[in-house]
Amino acid sequence: MSEAKFSDERFQLTDEKAKVALDVLRKHLNRQLAASLEVCVRCGMCAESCHYYVADPKPEHIPAYRAEQLRKLYRQLFDPLGKVARGWVGAAELDQEMVEQLINTAFGSCTLCGRCTLNCPVGVETRQIIRTARAMLTAMDMTPKGLKATVEVHLESGNNMGVSEEDYVDTLKWMEEELQAELDDPTVKIPINKPHARVVYTLNPREVKYFPYLIQAAAKIFNAAGEDWTFATESWDATNYGLFSGDDKAAAIIAKNLENAVNHLGGATLVMAECGHGFRSQRWEGENWVGHAYPFPIYSFVELQAQYIREGRLKLDPTRNPQRVTYHDPCNQVRQGGIIEEPRYVLHQVVQDFVEMTPHGVENYCCGGGGGMLSMSEFAQDRIAAGKVKADQIRATGAEIVVTSCHNCLDQLMEINKHYKLGVKVQNLSELTANAIVWQK
Amino acid sequence: MSLLSITRLIAIAGLLLGVLGIAFRLNDIMNRPFRKDLSRGRGSRWRGVLNAFTLGMAPWEKESGRLHWDTYIRGVLFHLGVFVTFAVLLASPWLGMIPRWIVWLAVVITAAGALAGFIGAAMRRLDKNERALSVPDDYFSVALTALFVALACLTLLAPAVLPVFYLVSAITLAYIPFSKIRHCVYFFYAKFFFGQGYGHRGVIGQAGGKSTH
Repeated sequence: MSEAKFSDERFQLTDEKAKVALDVLRKHLNRQLAASLEVCVRCGMCAESCHYYVADPKPEHIPAYRAEQLRKLYRQLFDPLGKVARGWVGAAELDQEMVEQLINTAFGSCTLCGRCTLNCPVGVETRQIIRTARAMLTAMDMTPKGLKATVEVHLESGNNMGVSEEDYVDTLKWMEEELQAELDDPTVKIPINKPHARVVYTLNPREVKYFPYLIQAAAKIFNAAGEDWTFATESWDATNYGLFSGDDKAAAIIAKNLENAVNHLGGATLVMAECGHGFRSQRWEGENWVGHAYPFPIYSFVELQAQYIREGRLKLDPTRNPQRVTYHDPCNQVRQGGIIEEPRYVLHQVVQDFVEMTPHGVENYCCGGGGGMLSMSEFAQDRIAAGKVKADQIRATGAEIVVTSCHNCLDQLMEINKHYKLGVKVQNLSELTANAIVWQK
Repeated sequence: MSLLSITRLIAIAGLLLGVLGIAFRLNDIMNRPFRKDLSRGRGSRWRGVLNAFTLGMAPWEKESGRLHWDTYIRGVLFHLGVFVTFAVLLASPWLGMIPRWIVWLAVVITAAGALAGFIGAAMRRLDKNERALSVPDDYFSVALTALFVALACLTLLAPAVLPVFYLVSAITLAYIPFSKIRHCVYFFYAKFFFGQGYGHRGVIGQAGGKSTH
């Protein structure tokens, strides 16, 4: 567990804040959460499912221990013995000490990866418990500042990095020119605000700011597949850090903005860039946040790449990617979204030497970059330490390239690559797919 | 009124208290809102639920089960012992009519269950992780249930123990709604929600689901 200190005034518990937090807990306490809070038998079998525990095996890193921090309060409020025999059942009141424990456990040492849930013998949804704790802290204005700022910037500017529409459009046009030059084909296009396109595609703002070549790669794939696609200017950011802060209201606004953009363009499908939490937010959580079903389906770009290859819409030459490649499954895609076989199918078609990590797929370890952890610098040291598990997994494969389909994973993998001197190249799946495309004019 | 009759009435009172407490608990959880998932499914919810209650519980299925196989086996034995103990309690007025081979099978299962329970209680103290997670009720609940199972075993071997078995049964049954033993009720909810959620997302229980470890 992280031991970061939060001494700012906003992290001090007051009676009003405590009331707000308890109201949030009561509001979140649906049947699913109540079952998860009640059913844990504290067997500790979840310990090794957590990368924090594997990297540093102390009891505070056991998922059940983290969940206990909120259970103490739950028992105080809802357990008959919690009121009269607090010590006997482990109940406790919300006080400053508990607040600090909750910040350090819910934000500081859990990436909401869900590996513990799949490994729990009784099915405890620890992720839901931890996100509820985050929601309570956020309602008390106790979100770590980096995460808080990311959500605020998104709500204010329409994307989490404050990219202006002008910069966004300029980057898309620049990438269109680059792609035309690369392929020596002036017919390739990056459409913007095309009405009634089959696919409306989103981006992570980091692609606009730091990784524009990923836009080029996606555009190459869409053009090669002959897709009817477009970018939108109304709303285009695939990310939604409301998922991580636990702020359902903010998450709903962000999800609704994307829905509106697709509806206003009359798009048939929304395709999420290779962004793990963005995909999960919009695909699996968004409709629950906004309170209605979307009129269009949502897919991950990973699913779409696999579909194009299956349909024979891409001519591929795997010898263009001759290095040994391994794949890191983003938790939000594999454990929270069931995208298990698609990236493997794609990789078998676009690279020559693909090797799996052990374990992989649904049982893959989190890289440490989930849960909005990269936005919370207070916990960076623990995040890198917990990444050792992933570093060891990568090293064991002997791979030269680590591929993933998530920007937070990409960042964390780059950091652990440097820290643990792995000497690998970290890339997005679409980069390898684009590189393997044999262009046909 | 004989000692046996008095203790039997106490056991029935314990059972009624336990059932009443569980009914309150069930009423409480059923009055909470059910979070409906509006997202389009990738897999079948019901296949997920089926998996959660069947193959998903197999010892090889979860990494935690493979790593903690001793805890897993202990848990299975303990719970088998508890189930048989309830059967012994319900059949207690007619124990003399039960075929001997069934009695001996029940003796073996309850003996193994009680042993697993007492070892479990001890491990909770000896294992660093379990100790850190435990509250006093955890030790008491496991020890009390192990005693409940042990007394079922002894009752089968020596029927004179029956009044003691009834008294401990009364305490155990009445204590269920107030203790961690009530996980026996929430287990079905948690497993159901787990199976439903991960089945809907195509993670467990379907072709192309959890298969790559």
